Amino acid sequence: MAELGKSGSLQLKALTKHYGTFTAVENVDLEIQSGEFLTLLGPSGSGKTTLLMMMAGFQDITSGDILLDGRSIAAMPAEKRNFGMVFQGYALFPHMTVRDNIAYPLSVRKRPKAEIDARVGEMMELVRLGDFAHRLPKELSGGQQQRVALARALCFAPPVLLLDEPLGALDKNLRTEVQAQLKDIHHRIGTTFVYVTHDQEEALSMSDRIVIMRNGHIEQLGTPTALYQQPTTRFAASFLGKSNFLHRDGAVYALRPEKIDLAAAGHGQGANKVAGIVQSVTYFGSVLKYQVEVLGMGLIEVDVDAWRGGAPLPEHSPVDLTWADNAAVRLNDQS
Amino acid sequence: MKAGLPARFNSGLSWVLLVFLVAPALVAIPVSLTPKRFLSFPTNELSLQYYIKLFSSPEWMSSFWQSAVIAIASTLLATAIGTLCAIGLWRVSSKAGEVVRAILLLPLVIPPIIAAMAFYRLFVPLGLIDSYAGLILAHTVLSAPLVLITVSASLAGFDPRLEQASRNLGASNWTTIRRVIVPGIKPGILAGAVFAFISSWDEIVVTLFLSKFSVYTLPRRMWNGIRENTDPTVAAAAVVLMAVTLVAFTVWALAARRNRTTK
Repeated sequence: MAELGKSGSLQLKALTKHYGTFTAVENVDLEIQSGEFLTLLGPSGSGKTTLLMMMAGFQDITSGDILLDGRSIAAMPAEKRNFGMVFQGYALFPHMTVRDNIAYPLSVRKRPKAEIDARVGEMMELVRLGDFAHRLPKELSGGQQQRVALARALCFAPPVLLLDEPLGALDKNLRTEVQAQLKDIHHRIGTTFVYVTHDQEEALSMSDRIVIMRNGHIEQLGTPTALYQQPTTRFAASFLGKSNFLHRDGAVYALRPEKIDLAAAGHGQGANKVAGIVQSVTYFGSVLKYQVEVLGMGLIEVDVDAWRGGAPLPEHSPVDLTWADNAAVRLNDQS
Repeated sequence: MKAGLPARFNSGLSWVLLVFLVAPALVAIPVSLTPKRFLSFPTNELSLQYYIKLFSSPEWMSSFWQSAVIAIASTLLATAIGTLCAIGLWRVSSKAGEVVRAILLLPLVIPPIIAAMAFYRLFVPLGLIDSYAGLILAHTVLSAPLVLITVSASLAGFDPRLEQASRNLGASNWTTIRRVIVPGIKPGILAGAVFAFISSWDEIVVTLFLSKFSVYTLPRRMWNGIRENTDPTVAAAAVVLMAVTLVAFTVWALAARRNRTTK
């Protein structure tokens, strides 16, 4: 793999964006390290796309600053920032062939033809598009278009690649495959990736770090493991994975469904034990999802590995729920 | 399924209206073929003598070329101005922009006779009366709104992310317009150019005010021909005028169809 230029670090300082009286992004401080795969995760309206558009230079910032490798780029127009970007829906130029799309950033920079040809060939190989050079975008499948968009965005060796829900248009099976490819490409070229998504699975499977966004501010920031194992708020615990919430001694605890053991009444053994009645059980192939009514706690969700314990316990059967002491995580929210 | 009575009535009425609108124009065709010496319908035989007269007359041919030069020049200008204007308004998309758009579309609502007087008042001190430059300018002002309308319609269906993508990839504003936006709105530009050409090609009111001796367009020569004598050459010229308009329209229709099938 050829050298792809130096990857860059980004610093957002007290970044704020108002639309009239509406605050889309409020006072966001964030350091994105060079070569990192960072995901902005949040529901629609959480400000993640606005944040990305401000980095790309398509949205003016109301206040605050953006620094690339320590230098402010807040006043720099989009075309001077040199950031690669994969757009939602890809935004491929419909009248240009795959080759011309990928060559575009180099041809507007007036690079010699030999260099362009060599570079385009290299990028097409990187994203495995070899035979499609002379096709038009509309003649390609969604997955292939996504790869053209990626090749086009990486062709000019940008220090930072911004990705705006790049897998949103793909069907579910393809998505998992493309996630692996994206991660592999990131690993090989080492460019800083900033990835926007509302899909928690994408965030967990690809990122070095995840920023959970909510109402224009950062709710929680950390590695996928840290966020999943140690959520600090109810929102973080329920947006990234599922959680039961327990109220104990004036505090709220998050308890993941898969961390609870379920046994027929009288057979449960563990530090924490409650009795309940099965309300429903659903088979998902790898797991059985139980909903158990526990007196004083409401409906508790429990995931059990389907291959472990024989036949599922039927509805209305009394059960014991048990979990280890460290399974329940204390949140910062008030009870 | 058989069409109901109201539907058949509708389509019948449409055909009647079409005949009502088109028939007067088509009258020129038989009249141009008359063997007689005055404007009349041919009775027994048909004759091409007035076409021969038209194409061998230096006056008529000169008017033909003058009209062509003025129409082509004002089409090029109006297309460039109207397209850039539409792109600018599309980008700004604000209330102030809509006010500007309304002002730019005014030439379409102002009666031609008023526009003609305004041009006259403005052009006399500028020395543009009876010159190619004056007529080209006036026709450009009259036809640029047509381009603005068709190009704006094309832009309404243009994905603004393509513009963002181009800028993000390092293209300057001008490069983005030339290499991404213009290819994307080509059908609208072409339609606008055809309408601009047609509107200049058969324009008479403003032309009457702004030309005297040195500029003598085809519609103006026809106007004078009808007023001064009843020479059927006028009918032959009218048929040629309509034929050129029809050719321009067909070019556009074919291009639009090809564009639809390749999309």
